[in-house]
Amino acid sequence: MTSAVDRRPISFAGLPLSSWAFAIRIWSAIVLALYISFWLELEAPSSAAVTVTILALPTRGQVLEKAVFRLIATVIGVAASITIIGLFVQTGSLLLIAFAAWLGICVYTAGLLDGNRAYAAALSGYTIAIIAVQQIDNPQHVFESALARGAAITVGVLTVAVVNDLLSAPDHHPQLTAQLEALRRRIADYARRILNGEAMPAMTAVGLLRDIVALRPEIASLAAELNSGPARSAAARNVMVGLVAELFAARSLEMLPAAAQLRLREQVIAQLDGKPGGLASPSDVSLLEYQAKDSEPVAASLSWLAKYLIRTDGEVRRTLGDLSAGRRPPRAWHAPLYRSHRISAETAVRAAVYFLLAAAFFALSGWSSTEVSLSFVAIIIALGATTPDLRALTVMAVVAAPIASLMAGILEFVVLDGATTFPLLAIGLAPFMIGAALLMTLPNRILSALGRLNLVFILLLLAPSNPQTYNPQTFLFSALFLVLATGLLFVAEIVIPPASNDRRRHWLLASVRRDLHRLPSHREQELAPEEAMFRDAGRVAQILAAGSDVPQHRPAMEEAMAIFDQAATLRLCQVELDRLAQGPLRTEVDAAYNSLVKRDPGAIIASAHALSEAASIRDVSVADASAALVLASVTFTSPRLDAEFSAERRS
Amino acid sequence: MTHSYRELVIGGVLIAPLLSYAVATIALIVILRPVLHLVGFSNWFSNPPIAELSLYVAIFGLLTLLF
Repeated sequence: MTSAVDRRPISFAGLPLSSWAFAIRIWSAIVLALYISFWLELEAPSSAAVTVTILALPTRGQVLEKAVFRLIATVIGVAASITIIGLFVQTGSLLLIAFAAWLGICVYTAGLLDGNRAYAAALSGYTIAIIAVQQIDNPQHVFESALARGAAITVGVLTVAVVNDLLSAPDHHPQLTAQLEALRRRIADYARRILNGEAMPAMTAVGLLRDIVALRPEIASLAAELNSGPARSAAARNVMVGLVAELFAARSLEMLPAAAQLRLREQVIAQLDGKPGGLASPSDVSLLEYQAKDSEPVAASLSWLAKYLIRTDGEVRRTLGDLSAGRRPPRAWHAPLYRSHRISAETAVRAAVYFLLAAAFFALSGWSSTEVSLSFVAIIIALGATTPDLRALTVMAVVAAPIASLMAGILEFVVLDGATTFPLLAIGLAPFMIGAALLMTLPNRILSALGRLNLVFILLLLAPSNPQTYNPQTFLFSALFLVLATGLLFVAEIVIPPASNDRRRHWLLASVRRDLHRLPSHREQELAPEEAMFRDAGRVAQILAAGSDVPQHRPAMEEAMAIFDQAATLRLCQVELDRLAQGPLRTEVDAAYNSLVKRDPGAIIASAHALSEAASIRDVSVADASAALVLASVTFTSPRLDAEFSAERRS
Repeated sequence: MTHSYRELVIGGVLIAPLLSYAVATIALIVILRPVLHLVGFSNWFSNPPIAELSLYVAIFGLLTLLF
């Protein structure tokens, strides 16, 4: 085990061998895709190469998932293009409004999804820009143009899949297992420090939640990997949801006074650390249960929570085993995503307005061939919907466009300079493609994004064709249009700025409060408490993303975390109470529900007592429900915010 | 004897037989995946991705030959 940790990756020119392998795979796939497209005499061979650059992801599962979504989204985009062109071909301005509306719908959908699903929504939006907008003056060619693009994309997808298989692109699950295992250890450490009486700042928990939730799109893409993919994806999802529940249990331990006095504290810590001396045997767990029944309410609640923590940790460990072995876990949890319709709608309206502004500018300018530039605008707007920050992507594109233009110019007029044979094209492409792909693998996010944009832009500008025309005028126009598109979008975003982070945070916090207000609901819960916790954790991560980790945002984060705890506790209470509602204790359960609705800690404690007394007469076990109610009462009285402020001041 | 290929016609648009075979193969692979997982197909090979790719090519070839 230690040898695996100590082993350093072999590196060449300061970059690990895996990065070189990735870059060479991308270059080989581009060359092969171009060769096949030339051989098949496709009309848009460069689209096949661009497909490869867009599918340039390091592992097989991610590539295959993105490829499938790219094909589906292209079909949807083509259908939309033909329909819109067919409906509005006679009226130019209505046609542009229809394009903008479709783009808005796709951006809205992308805002509600994540990972490659969001990419598919964005692609459906910008396919229309590539197919219909570019043929705006020749609508009768839309179908041919759509077919040419579809064929090129299919060739690109197949090429990248085959090259990845033959050149042994790595699988994603070992890396993901290691990441999840590291997160489990961090949470165990967090719990251990709480059990030792340390006060933990809310931002530590927020950071952990963000890191867990960030793995969601990667876990979804595991399903496309090998035939054990779906089983592994389900196991990884369970681990992710379990980790959030474990973190909640650890945080709740901190809320209960005297967590450090838990009688079996040492054993619980040993169990979390996976050392001998933990509560491995069932008798120890039953001891906790016994303690939970017998002692005073807070201690009982503490033991119940410790039991919940250990049970969740055990579940996480088991499913981590399932993940490495490729076994489907016995019970699959959902990992729902929090969707903010309001934020998505705002982004969508802005996307449509940006597109219309650019279209109006080009219409007024009266320049010819500006449809290419307009399609670039649409592409950047749509892709911006898949990133948390459209402004950042635009700035990056403004920087990348001139660099890519220069690179493509050097490649076309200095390196190739009239060459007509395919091997020369392949050799000429090598340094540019491999260089950009290597840049993508760097940990620095700005350089990595720059590498990705350059990879795509260079090929878009070079537009390899058979035979290559080497027309400086065409090249200059393409480069100019790309730079113009990025510049125009940049200006449009200054005129109408995207929704500010403060507003986003405000809306998200409002939705957090609204959801808490609805709890406990008497209706049957759609999600298990753990699944709902995961959805709430996703929202906490979104609040964090809508504002950097600066001190003035901390109160908002702390409020979000406090409500996260309260909502999770209320859901657990509801599950326990619902279990008793069918029995003889219906009156007491109703009283407990009412006290929870009122958020009155005293009444909640009183209802827990009443429940216990009634249960002792009727010989029913209510230990879990009563422990959950005690936790709820503590959650609503907890001076956690004050404690966290003082802990942060100390640190 | 030459093999005649039937073209798929959707709304008057002729679809190349190659495409229908490729899509049919993908559908078959999707159905086969749980079965392959159940029998531990990946454990039989040192490079499972290439084995899966070969299976795809074999099914594609069979479909082309038989239909």
